[in-house]
Amino acid sequence: MKLASLVSAVAIVAGAAGAWAAESTGGLALGTKAPDAAAKTKMKNVDGKMLSIADVAGKSGTLVVFTCNHCPFAKDWEQRIVELANTYAGKGIGVVLVNANDPTTHPEDGYEEMQTRAKSRGMKVPYVVDATSGVARAFGASVTPEAFLFDKAGKLAYHGTIDDNRKEADKVKVRYLKDALDAVVAGKAPAVPETKGLGCGIKFRS
Amino acid sequence: MTSALLLATVMAAEVAAPVQVEVADLPAIMAAVKAPGAAAVLVNVWATWCEPCREEMPDLVRFYREHRAQGLRMVLVSADDEDQRAQVARVLAGLRFDGAAFIKRGDDMAFIDALDPSWKGSLPATFLFDGRGARTQSWHGLVTYDDLRAGVSGLLDKGKKPKKPQTKPRRE
Repeated sequence: MKLASLVSAVAIVAGAAGAWAAESTGGLALGTKAPDAAAKTKMKNVDGKMLSIADVAGKSGTLVVFTCNHCPFAKDWEQRIVELANTYAGKGIGVVLVNANDPTTHPEDGYEEMQTRAKSRGMKVPYVVDATSGVARAFGASVTPEAFLFDKAGKLAYHGTIDDNRKEADKVKVRYLKDALDAVVAGKAPAVPETKGLGCGIKFRS
Repeated sequence: MTSALLLATVMAAEVAAPVQVEVADLPAIMAAVKAPGAAAVLVNVWATWCEPCREEMPDLVRFYREHRAQGLRMVLVSADDEDQRAQVARVLAGLRFDGAAFIKRGDDMAFIDALDPSWKGSLPATFLFDGRGARTQSWHGLVTYDDLRAGVSGLLDKGKKPKKPQTKPRRE
């Protein structure tokens, strides 16, 4: 085996091990950076352009939300996710919404429906296709919706759900993601850096 | 009444058997899980709109029916909205489920961590507790009949035989 091949084989094995570790521990660890290969993966946006998480990184931080079209949980939070995304994109946060679901098993999660949703919901941020579900796997994402917020140094500052009341927006007591965004914009560590919420399992492509 | 009509009537009566679905918060659900008297307790978290949940549910219910004589209890917790109570009951009646059925109310995080801190909240999810209320196994995602059989092995009352399976397990 040539050296170059050996190096890439080792890199592939190391990458796979990293992805496995992320999944086995419930996602990227706080304080770690996004896996390089995943951050640089080009994904098709609803406007037809290809872009990566690295491309959208903001000067104050970067927010990646794994979501989709079909999941009732994602739908319930959708308007709040879009509002946060649009608002904080104007505050130095790079934002990208990622759909990693397999549309062959869930047709509603197809590209055209993503375009329709982006338009009807007034998304001003990219909504992209994770075409192999590889980015979601590398992040250790498992549900929709699931947010990963990186600080300006690119380190994971918040991971989890949107707020504490999916069904009734007017009864939300704790806005986990918004509070974390405010902290990161201010250059501080979020007071609640990790949360969990019920969600649809990501329909990974095989 | 013809025998065909009688059979149809009996079948309709079985399908229509009411299922009590209680909207409950975490303490009430965990009280049902940890109440004494069972050798093992299966907890499944599902929703009527969740396709994989609906896919595995017939096997889960069948497994429960075949092993409850050996001390297996089953607690189903739906993540449906409270106003979907009738729909939840209809689905479970169609499966002739007669165990404990809840619609979860309240904070997700406390609920998730009470069942299994390593669970991230994706549906479906199934948890096995022993008769003392200690969790022995979790399945995050689809569970199979064989998974369940392996999981309860050693927990159930070996003095009693399981009810003979009505049909061949689907995923053997």
